[in-house]
Amino acid sequence: MSRPGFVLEVDERTPALLMHEGEGFRLEKLPLGSRVIYPPESLPGLRDLDAHIRHALANPLGREPLHELLRPGMRLTIVFDDLSIPLPPMRTPDIRQRIIEQVLELAAAKGVDDVELIAGNALHRRMTPAELKRTVGERVFRSFFPRHLRNHDAEDKANLTEIGQTRHGEVVEINRRAAESDLIVYVNVSLTAMSGGPKSVSVGLASYRSLKHHHNVHTLRHSKSFNDPPNSAMHHSYNRMAGLLDESVNIFQIETTVNNDTFPDYVGFLNKREWEWNLKDQASYLAVKRANDLAPPKQRRQIWHRTAAPYGVTSVTAGDPIQVHEVTTRHVLRQQLTEVDGPADIGIFGLPYICPYNVNSIMNPILVMSLGLGYFFNLYRGQPIVRPGGVAIYYHPVRNEFHPVHHPSYIDFFEEVLAETTDPVAIETKFEEQFATDPWYIHLYRNSYAYHGVHPLYMWYWGAHALEHLGDVIFVGGNRKTTARMGFRSASTLDDALEMARERVGGSPSINYLHAPPLTMADVR
Amino acid sequence: MNLTLEYHRSPVRYMTTRTATGTSVGGRASGWMAANLSPLRLLNRPEPRLPGAGWTRVRPRLSGICGSDLGLLTGRNSPYLSALISLPFTPGHEVVGETLDDLPGLPRRSRVVLDPVLGCVPRGLEPCAGCAADQPSRCDHITAGRVSAGMQTGYCADTGGGWSRVFVAHASQLHRVPDTVDDERAVLAEPLACAIHTVRRVPIPDGASVLVVGAGTVGLLTTMALREYTKAGPIYVIARYGHQRELAREAGATEVLASDRAARALRRATGGFLARPERGSEYLLGGVDLAFDCTAGSGLDTALRVVRAGGTVVMSGMPNTGVDLTPLWFRELNLVGAYCSGGHDFPDALALAQSAPLTGYVDAVYPLSRWRDAIGHASAAGRLGSVKVAFDPTKDQ
Amino acid sequence: MGLIRDVKVLTGGRDWRGRSRTPRSAAAHEPPEPPREFPTGWARTQVAQAARRALQRGVLTPLTWSQTRPEVQGRERLDALKGPVVFVANHSSHLDTPLILGSIPAHLSKRVAVGAAADYFFDARWRAAVTALVFNAFPVERHRSRRLRSLAPYLLAKGWSLLLFPEGTRSEDGWMSPLRLGAAHLCVTQGVPIIPIALRGTYAAMPRGRNWPVPGRARVVVRYGTPLHPAEGEGARAFNVRVGESITQLWAEEDLGWYGSLRAQARGELALPSGQQYPTGSWRRTWESTRPLVDRAPRRAWRS
Repeated sequence: MSRPGFVLEVDERTPALLMHEGEGFRLEKLPLGSRVIYPPESLPGLRDLDAHIRHALANPLGREPLHELLRPGMRLTIVFDDLSIPLPPMRTPDIRQRIIEQVLELAAAKGVDDVELIAGNALHRRMTPAELKRTVGERVFRSFFPRHLRNHDAEDKANLTEIGQTRHGEVVEINRRAAESDLIVYVNVSLTAMSGGPKSVSVGLASYRSLKHHHNVHTLRHSKSFNDPPNSAMHHSYNRMAGLLDESVNIFQIETTVNNDTFPDYVGFLNKREWEWNLKDQASYLAVKRANDLAPPKQRRQIWHRTAAPYGVTSVTAGDPIQVHEVTTRHVLRQQLTEVDGPADIGIFGLPYICPYNVNSIMNPILVMSLGLGYFFNLYRGQPIVRPGGVAIYYHPVRNEFHPVHHPSYIDFFEEVLAETTDPVAIETKFEEQFATDPWYIHLYRNSYAYHGVHPLYMWYWGAHALEHLGDVIFVGGNRKTTARMGFRSASTLDDALEMARERVGGSPSINYLHAPPLTMADVR
Repeated sequence: MNLTLEYHRSPVRYMTTRTATGTSVGGRASGWMAANLSPLRLLNRPEPRLPGAGWTRVRPRLSGICGSDLGLLTGRNSPYLSALISLPFTPGHEVVGETLDDLPGLPRRSRVVLDPVLGCVPRGLEPCAGCAADQPSRCDHITAGRVSAGMQTGYCADTGGGWSRVFVAHASQLHRVPDTVDDERAVLAEPLACAIHTVRRVPIPDGASVLVVGAGTVGLLTTMALREYTKAGPIYVIARYGHQRELAREAGATEVLASDRAARALRRATGGFLARPERGSEYLLGGVDLAFDCTAGSGLDTALRVVRAGGTVVMSGMPNTGVDLTPLWFRELNLVGAYCSGGHDFPDALALAQSAPLTGYVDAVYPLSRWRDAIGHASAAGRLGSVKVAFDPTKDQ
Repeated sequence: MGLIRDVKVLTGGRDWRGRSRTPRSAAAHEPPEPPREFPTGWARTQVAQAARRALQRGVLTPLTWSQTRPEVQGRERLDALKGPVVFVANHSSHLDTPLILGSIPAHLSKRVAVGAAADYFFDARWRAAVTALVFNAFPVERHRSRRLRSLAPYLLAKGWSLLLFPEGTRSEDGWMSPLRLGAAHLCVTQGVPIIPIALRGTYAAMPRGRNWPVPGRARVVVRYGTPLHPAEGEGARAFNVRVGESITQLWAEEDLGWYGSLRAQARGELALPSGQQYPTGSWRRTWESTRPLVDRAPRRAWRS
């Protein structure tokens, strides 16, 4: 039986606790009385996954069974989540592959010829053929690539279609092929409570024109948190858009959730609670840590990015997007939610080597910011684990390195925009238009493997809520210049960081440490 | 007797420094090599004799160390120039000094700066086409006439040079320094005149975007000249060291860029696409209208890669490296050289020296006897936070 | 150096075996302890057997025999028997096992394994190791709290005879408690005979809580009964009843003599000596069970 999550209070007998810090990790002795938020233990995965998928397709919520929706001569579009989830990528066969194969079996049996597969990558970089193949599997890839298995292109004006405007004046513009299909089958993996549901089609297949209505500073500052859809202005916007979409397109949503088996066995200690480490865990901690610290940076990165998570799938639900998403969210929260008794003066977060936007790539400073102040900070329900005006301490080396192919606009954003200002509103006002319409970025997004020009700005907005909420941000082990450029501070040790935080929170602050990954969502009362 | 730093013929030393500084390790130690292995020596010589009428002896008060001097000492300068010098000579062509002989219109003890070009007039020859057009820097007769071969004072055996107690100069080479300009500024008049000359070499349309590669003395002074004498639009300066960034901004730069980020930043500023070849550095399709290479040639490659098609690259520094000229051909660029000064450049330079933010540029002054330290300092000027290192021969006892 | 620092941080707060104390706040979230199985296979190797034989013959048996006056009866009933068999005895003292091991006829004693309480003998590793070596003990779960697979069928199949105490625990007061089904079930399914054994006087000689026999060489009796073979189609329950009756009779033989006990049994006068004639909690229960065995000449079979 997997144990529920809980909050540890560091006492004299608590051993040093694990912190992720980029492509590495360390043990850190936290001050007495610090509270550590542990996720529920990994839930058991479904045993006969294929049977569960079959069952879900045949017994959808609020829709006819999938095979009854299929008929010869129809236009069927299968859209799937891109490589930004799950993190790390799951071991093959990917759950998306398993589902798509079954959907295609049904379509083949019904004689559906006009089938397109589209990755719902929005403004993310295109997936490479190898990445597509890994996601959908060899058989699907062979049958459809390259003409009928594609990445969504948010800048292909000819292949976008405006569905209309919501009552708030939000333009809904999505992929034309999908919009004109008789049926969209959306295959999703929900890693966090923010993904899936109304977000899938309205965001995954949208264009910049449409995305700017919810990916902006105002919305994100009013999404508290964006992992808690009922309290997220961003999700309210998604819902409005999805409502509009619902009138004109027919979406059959298939959502899945995974458990917390984030790391493979040879680094199994990363999944365990420190005081339960046996000698083998400790030996492998030492061995892996030493080898990792000594490895050349390039090889180290390659090794980390080659690790695939042995995720178990905890649910497969199909049918009407809204009804399905309720079930999915329940499963996500069951795996991630831990109750916490109130915020603290200081929140500590260990940032891992991966975020949604650096799969097979480099975690650049902007992505560190978005992971730390965006994703991790927002892993809460109710209120943040840090009080307003409190201090967030992150662990990450924050090296000044960028992937030149994947993140070209990030480089300019860092060098030029952040040198001028770090205020999200100022950035949005002065630079968003420039970055979003720069022809070179658009060219690279469409033809190379680059994130869209505006994406680094979105990353910065992602942290807007945290920037507003926090009094100070300190990176332990962070590169001084890089962190300073982003308006943060760096400390060489936790003690230094606490000393620096003193001016904000005094000499004996309360501390919350979000022990993740595996992902933990704090339910702060 | 005249205490002088003399560059003499020594094939062994020349080849040693040239070879060693050509390697990557030796390149890092080039300052040490220039100071210790170069064919330079300090000794007492008889004072140079006056070559004829119109010449005067000049006692240098400050004598700058120029990038081309360092190239000479490390052997990096092109052998092309070897036909234009006469050995042994005393280097030093950035000079502020005082005259020791009375000349018409120029009494002795006048404070003067030196225009080092040895054109037809000082050589006592009929003017060639260049000199006739008041462009002595283009003189064709620099190996002939009254004094021995030498493109400038400081490369000529007969005139002596600034790195000594006394040298000789022709009245046409000397410009009186107003009292309002102190020595530290006046010694920059020569490089400033070159900078003014450089920006006058090409027509610069109003609002044109300009890149200055390098923020050493030449780069900074070129930036000032651009701001003073042209209506260029944004001026981007590529600077390597912290103090250079500050100075470049003071000099009038719109934006100061780090060399490894220059291409991207210029793309953002001027539009266009960035291309990444499989080998070599990235370049722009699109870019600035004009670029001034103010390095010892290493910046030329950068300049060629970030100028828009049909744009212009002006070479101001003395080039001493090879460069891939493909962009010149492919982007149909204009490559323009700019050497020394002429016409009104010197008077303008003296005027500008008075007003320009040059305070602190000369921040290291050595006596001749400490020439090894001086050369070492000048070689590492950027790293040591200096702009111009100069000798003060009057300090020597 | 990095490694040394890493080791220091890692080992800080852990004991020499690398175990950490559970933080107070985590105590409520401890996982159920996984069943730990102490390996005993090594104790059945040739080397361990030789060592055990030396220990038993050189130390254990002489010591037991020097501290008590054992009287062994009915051994001849085993003469024709071939292993494996299951010895089943009542259990009221730590003397029981040495007495039986020291008195089993040689042709059976070479391969005997003793079922020992997993939660007591196999809890601490050092005790488990000593028990396994000296007695050839193997762990037996008595509370079914943990789900260890029993070794007993495997040992029987390998030709080991077993010594089991089906009461499940040493007697509190010297009287017997009902026999549990395990041993009978084992024999029925495996088709091996049971040899009932009754021990008398061991509680008096070394009751619970003593770690050395009472001074004065108390008399103890080890009485082997006739081997019982599970009958064709006989259930474990019925077989267990037979075993119980047999032990009851052997127990009574001390007081009534062989024939007397047989007669009493035939009349239905015998019941498991659970001391039910003395009320629970009465001092007389202990009083009676600690009464030293009367030293008497062998009774004649026929009462005159």
